[in-house]
Amino acid sequence: MKAFIKAIEYHLPETILDNQQLAVEFPDWSAEKIMAKTGIAQRHIARNDECASDLGVLAARKLLASGVAAAKDLDFLILCTQSPDYFLPTTACLMQDRLGLPRSCGALDVNLGCSGFVYILGMAKGLIETGQARNVLLITAETYSKHINVRDKSVRTVFGDGAAATLVSAFASRKSPIGPFVYGTDGSGAANLMVPTGGMRKPRVAGAPLEQDQSNNQRTENDLFMNGPEIFNFTLRVIPPMVEQMLQKSGLRLEQIDLWVFHQANQFMLEHIRKKLGVSESRFVLSFADCGNTVSSTIPIALKNAAEKGQMKTGCKVAIAGFGVGYSWAGTVMEWKGPDRMTR
Amino acid sequence: MTKKEFLIALGEVVGGDAGGIRGDESLRDLDGWDSMASVAFMAMADERLGKLVGAADLAACKTVSDLMALFPGQIS
Repeated sequence: MKAFIKAIEYHLPETILDNQQLAVEFPDWSAEKIMAKTGIAQRHIARNDECASDLGVLAARKLLASGVAAAKDLDFLILCTQSPDYFLPTTACLMQDRLGLPRSCGALDVNLGCSGFVYILGMAKGLIETGQARNVLLITAETYSKHINVRDKSVRTVFGDGAAATLVSAFASRKSPIGPFVYGTDGSGAANLMVPTGGMRKPRVAGAPLEQDQSNNQRTENDLFMNGPEIFNFTLRVIPPMVEQMLQKSGLRLEQIDLWVFHQANQFMLEHIRKKLGVSESRFVLSFADCGNTVSSTIPIALKNAAEKGQMKTGCKVAIAGFGVGYSWAGTVMEWKGPDRMTR
Repeated sequence: MTKKEFLIALGEVVGGDAGGIRGDESLRDLDGWDSMASVAFMAMADERLGKLVGAADLAACKTVSDLMALFPGQIS
């Protein structure tokens, strides 16, 4: 048995933070300037009482309601999030109960960000192709807004909350349409995208002082910190060699890839990578204007949107790559098994 | 790349008047210079000057002249 992506659904929280609202809070930036700098018109933000798991459950229910599978058919659940409900128990266990999945279902959390979808897709392929599972539900769910200080425009303008549910299922075939995979890790870059407190290494600091950086962004040590220039350098260092490895391992040339779906980090980074790789605009998916950087959900959301627009025909070759926090990165090449057009 | 071309490119990066940067401004006073512009500047430098600027080197720059000094021999 081999694994393929059977369906994708996603859910974005109802509350919207648009550029007009940000311009009121940050008067030195107009709404037009924010759009020009980020390519993002709006982000969805979870309510105070809304967790990443809530968004994930809604995405999963949407997928189950579409009829592609029943809850009883699922035998594994993998949740990728860096905003778990609790340190323990595992949030995926709570979601198994909420979704009414069988008690014979395996469930686990994966703590990854931007690379997460590709990692858990690799895990799903492994589970299915070793005969351990037949229908794996991958949920990517994130509420980075809860890690961000409202006075830090550098990250507040970029990140949005959201969740995606992807069903990876088994089918009889000699050839696997997903893979090969390329993985990578460089922990020396950890401090460049981090929430420094709140874990076991350093507890959350009550009354932590607000600090201001050279760009007038303000945050405390309890808040998300991102060193944009370092992250940019990291992506330029690792993505071209990763793409080369992906092509080499899959025996394909650049021009044989029909669609490139990268983690939707930010406009400048994506456009620069596209040019550096020599990929045409028509083959390079950009899908962040209406939701921003939803971390591990950017790739499944972009795949879903591309499928809805008819950009992915059955049999087309799709390269996906996630990269960022950790540092962590992963990429794979898939042959899209359809349907030719996914509808919401 | 000429100095004029560099200043025009920098103007596009910060989203201001393309011809408005003199070359002696401090980055703190340069309208539009922020963390987003830093990344856009690095992309421009990589694309047009063939150099990937180190993040620490960029963070150490305080003036537009410092930015030009990142590319010795490449800006006339």
